[in-house]
Amino acid sequence: MEKISRYLLVFIAILTLAIILPKLYWMAFEKPVRKPFILYSCINDDFMIHRISEKTWEDTQGKQYTREEYEQKLPMMFEKQLITSGSMPDSIKGIALDMRTISKAKSFFRLKASEIDAPVPGLYPLFESQSGRAKLDLPEDFFRITWRIDFIEAATNKVLEEKSQLFSAALFQNGFSFPAIKISGISTPRKSADEGYFIVDSKDQLFHLKMIKGNPYVKKIEVPEGLKFRHISCVDFKNKDFYAYLFSDKNVIYILTQDDYQLIKWPVEGFDASNCDLKIFGDLFNYTVVVEAEDHIKAIALNPDYQVVKTYTETWKLKEELTEGKIFALLFPAQVSMTSDNSKFIRFYFSLSEGFNWIFLNILLMAFHFLWLFRRKVKVKNHLTDLGIVAICGIFGFIAIHFFPNKFFD
Amino acid sequence: MMWKSIVYKEWLKIRWFLIGYTLLGILGIGYLFLTVKHGFAFSGGKNIWNSILFMGHQFFSPLKYVPLLGGLTIAIAQYFPETVNKRIKLTFHLPLRENKALLMMHAFGAVSLLLSFLVFFGMFTGFSLLYFPVQMVTDSIISIFPWFLAGFSAYFLVALIVLEPAWKFRLFYSLVGGFFLTIYLNSPVTGAYDPANSGLFVLTAFLSIALLFSAYRFRKGEM
Repeated sequence: MEKISRYLLVFIAILTLAIILPKLYWMAFEKPVRKPFILYSCINDDFMIHRISEKTWEDTQGKQYTREEYEQKLPMMFEKQLITSGSMPDSIKGIALDMRTISKAKSFFRLKASEIDAPVPGLYPLFESQSGRAKLDLPEDFFRITWRIDFIEAATNKVLEEKSQLFSAALFQNGFSFPAIKISGISTPRKSADEGYFIVDSKDQLFHLKMIKGNPYVKKIEVPEGLKFRHISCVDFKNKDFYAYLFSDKNVIYILTQDDYQLIKWPVEGFDASNCDLKIFGDLFNYTVVVEAEDHIKAIALNPDYQVVKTYTETWKLKEELTEGKIFALLFPAQVSMTSDNSKFIRFYFSLSEGFNWIFLNILLMAFHFLWLFRRKVKVKNHLTDLGIVAICGIFGFIAIHFFPNKFFD
Repeated sequence: MMWKSIVYKEWLKIRWFLIGYTLLGILGIGYLFLTVKHGFAFSGGKNIWNSILFMGHQFFSPLKYVPLLGGLTIAIAQYFPETVNKRIKLTFHLPLRENKALLMMHAFGAVSLLLSFLVFFGMFTGFSLLYFPVQMVTDSIISIFPWFLAGFSAYFLVALIVLEPAWKFRLFYSLVGGFFLTIYLNSPVTGAYDPANSGLFVLTAFLSIALLFSAYRFRKGEM
């Protein structure tokens, strides 16, 4: 029993050290990656790259620009600055420019991998879409979708039976299969208008639900056979071109057009929702889609018909490939973390070190422990498990077996 | 008969600490829900729900260190007196198997702590269900569950540390134990501990017999 308690303690110590030591190491030695800011220019039909830490502005050919020149190449982004300095063009590509047109076409969207792999609230406010009021009011009740849709009044924590039945029946009549597996909408009243929620049911069918003058509006949206959505991000852009960006389980990006519910596939490749961040800048002439991965950044420019006009990729070394990463892989066989940049969940994130260089230190520590035992004239056969622990767990195991020593078990 | 005496001896040691801690905890949870009630009255239920669901407000956050404090209190009350003049030796001279006597003491402490935690947990769940629907209560429970596990782990670790005879190793255990406890106490979004809770439960169960190790070293006369 005492032996078991010791091994359990050694296990706890190894786990703790595998969390703490790598964390301290990276805190001391990790260098930040300065990702460039990339936008597509409608003036010279090329990407403009702002390297923020170096304070340089360039195009993909490496031609350097001053800040002012750079801003002039991106009039849709820096329109206020250009108007202030008097260098705003009157028209571009035959299209007359005015602030209203520019502002209406402008959109910005950002999605992090950690927003997708995250707990969901489970309850959502369904706004009145046509209240006739200038501003939206947060409703008194919130809905959940289980075997039906329930509206629960916050003040009393009671289900509103009549409303729940009305909306459940509407969903049911439109072929909704309870429960919902995904509910996506803009839950804040701080938006220009309410467009309700996009809901994926248990059969992967997509529905649009909103409330119009107290009554349910349900629309089943046609999607290609077999298409499953991993994530849906509703947007509230001024041009009202589309309701949402939708991400399939195969990492394809779609948009869902407003009012006519056309699902349009974007020709964006190289996006992986499990470990990439995504930024989409929209303007009068282009969409710049920026995919940020751990070791590269890819920019894709689309025209207003969502066709690719240009792509640009820049790579850098992973931290594991740099000197500090190689030393890490020499010292530590693995690392455990409770948190991840790609998720909001707490898990035991286990990652094995790159390569097998850590074996050298493991063997060295094992030899050191063997000599230590030898000098103490103890029976080595009683310490074989400890030697095995050091061989596998390296520095973590070595510290653990010395913190919880095998002193009286021989 | 002997086990009844052991239980009585342990009860004498921890009773005022346990009762005091439980009463303070009850008052704390009462106060917590008084603030919720006040929030409902002054800000309105929908705004409280909205801030919890979409703005990251965690109404239960004042509870974070309450179970940890309980684990530390009960462990110190129960095991510190045993180290004064090495009184634990007397237990080892009882006509009982040493580990059995020790585990009985330990189980009594752990069950006392469990009862206290169950009172808190029951109160928390009951009051929460008055103000929030099941989904919100479940997410809150997912978030506070590791804090209660941290309370048990702290109890088991302090027993291990206090019974350890050598100061050097007390320091080592404290280092490992202190860092280990941090894995229960991250500050993520509500409900984030869901995938980790079962693993944390197993790790806490592993620690429940940790004190056998230092007690063994004590009996073997490590200095």
